[in-house]
Amino acid sequence: MSVLEGAIIYSNLLVLLAIGLTMTYITTGVPNFAQGSFAVFGSYLALTLLRFYGIHPYLSIPVALIFGGVLGLVIYIGVLKPLISRGAQIVILMIATLAVDLILLGIIGAYSDYLGTVTKKSATRFIFTPYDFPVGFLSGIFVVSVLVIALILFGLYLLLYKTKFGVAMRASMENPDLAEIMGVNVEITRTVSWILSAGLAATAGVLLPFRQEIVPMTGGIIIVSIFASSIVGGLGSIFGALLGGYIVGMSESFVTFQFSEVFGPAVLVYSRVISLIVLVIMLILAPKGIVSIKWRRIKWLASFSS
Amino acid sequence: MAGEFLILNIVIWIGLYLIVGLSLNIEYGFGGIPNFGRAFAVLMGAIAVGGIVNRILMMIFGVSGQIIDASGVVKTTVNGLIAQNPLIGIALLIFGLLVAAILGAVTGALFILPSAKLSEDYLAITLLAISEVAFMVSYYHPDIIGGYYGVTVPNVLNFIPGEQRLFVFSLIIVGIALLVYYIVNRMLTSPYGRLLKAMRENDAVVRAYGKDIMNLRIRTVAVGSAIAALAGALYSMFSVNVIATNFSRVEWTFYPFLMILLGGLGNTRGVFVGVSAFVVARIFLITYKFEIVQALGLPFDPVWLEYILFGIVMLVILVYRPEGLLREKPVMTSPIKKVLEKRKVKAKAVSAK
Repeated sequence: MSVLEGAIIYSNLLVLLAIGLTMTYITTGVPNFAQGSFAVFGSYLALTLLRFYGIHPYLSIPVALIFGGVLGLVIYIGVLKPLISRGAQIVILMIATLAVDLILLGIIGAYSDYLGTVTKKSATRFIFTPYDFPVGFLSGIFVVSVLVIALILFGLYLLLYKTKFGVAMRASMENPDLAEIMGVNVEITRTVSWILSAGLAATAGVLLPFRQEIVPMTGGIIIVSIFASSIVGGLGSIFGALLGGYIVGMSESFVTFQFSEVFGPAVLVYSRVISLIVLVIMLILAPKGIVSIKWRRIKWLASFSS
Repeated sequence: MAGEFLILNIVIWIGLYLIVGLSLNIEYGFGGIPNFGRAFAVLMGAIAVGGIVNRILMMIFGVSGQIIDASGVVKTTVNGLIAQNPLIGIALLIFGLLVAAILGAVTGALFILPSAKLSEDYLAITLLAISEVAFMVSYYHPDIIGGYYGVTVPNVLNFIPGEQRLFVFSLIIVGIALLVYYIVNRMLTSPYGRLLKAMRENDAVVRAYGKDIMNLRIRTVAVGSAIAALAGALYSMFSVNVIATNFSRVEWTFYPFLMILLGGLGNTRGVFVGVSAFVVARIFLITYKFEIVQALGLPFDPVWLEYILFGIVMLVILVYRPEGLLREKPVMTSPIKKVLEKRKVKAKAVSAK
């Protein structure tokens, strides 16, 4: 697998996770700290189907999309909706998603122990790469991740721009109060955004083990990269999340690769540091994200210096 | 003996978590700064002891080499000296705490700087990301505090025989926790504490009264982080070794938030109540984990049960009792007392008519 190929695969998965995070942030106003664990949920779902029924992980993508959606629904209805209806502040909602993350970590960890004893094969760390197959001169995961992202972006485009529901959803994302006055049911758009978000995260989770080793704690580790992608994109724009995912994914892969050429392979574990640096630079230069930068103005300013 | 050990264990953890809980209460409970990177300050305290003090000792005794091996050599030498002269041990304890507080204050003040431009949700994400990355780097990088091997730390109480060490150390931790409690309580009932509450409620008003919000934030987080770093340093010196895995987000960010929310935000007594309730529950859970697993026939490691349980407790608090066990009360300053007295007199006069 070439560096570029690996970088694109990783970026594709980050984009899936960042789009979900951005969507729930726009509708409910809460950065979801459990997004990483949603992905690990998907990974363990795929592992279960593989171990018990011998279903290839690629075929479990639709299942993950559905079960992930159910998970998102349960968490929204069970946790966030009651809190929002009691007028909880954003920080309280964020603490609630941290709690959800911890509960999910506990459940996933407990389940991994259980799965390990039942199947007599350790499930506390696993990887899917042996199940991958080449497609032409490309690796299977590259083709599949590109296909998945293309399909999902197309589907999201249809949903958001070609249906009446999409119009209502975009309206309530941009201005929930105004949308509510105009008769849009904001509650439904919130619920749908959580279903979609968790569904996309679980889908990314099915593909993640083809790229890196999964442990129950993985969610807590990748959350930094997911937030970096979303914030680079501006947290408030789905298109921004798309750009942000590729920027963070590419810089993580390439910068760490370049460093590993100079300092040896030991630096490879520090890829998260790159995410953090990208995040901090972005927050200092353009806290509202890449979509907020007025390129025309920068060009205009640059025209004076030349 | 087992019962005594259990009680000392509870006392030690109440002391440690009381320090961290108080520090978080200054920042979040009073100042409204959502510091989701509390674990970072605690880790800094551990780095101060395991990384900085150890290196200073290495220089003094001319030990060279990697910190992992060198810390072992330093430990043996210094332990010998402490056994002969208890003053060296006490001096080392105070010096370690001092370095931890300074490092905590400096790093805390540094990492709150981006908040000049950020709203609270962005700030929380940034602080969490910084804390997570610092945790990861100190776990993978062997040159800071020994990575996954960890480093050893001299036993500052080496002059006390083994069986009494636990008792004396719990006294030291409780003593420092009480001192911190007293200072924090004084600080928060002073005008500074009310200024913090004003910032939490509405920072625009505070700014309109001519106060520099950024300066206030930097000072608050520096003080909070310095206090939290004390807990990290004490914990490291108590367990005589430092390893990054002991300073996870769950244990030093999530649990402190759980404790202060349980006790009630914005009051120091609430922190004590929350910390005590949490620590007693957790120590019993840890002590009797094998009995619990056997009784319930669980097919997994009980640590996962702990996570699920405390996660659910947090959600229950947030939904059903967001104000915590003890409600926040206004500080009774003499002008407020006068106003209340006047009101009482008036009410009496009205009822007499």
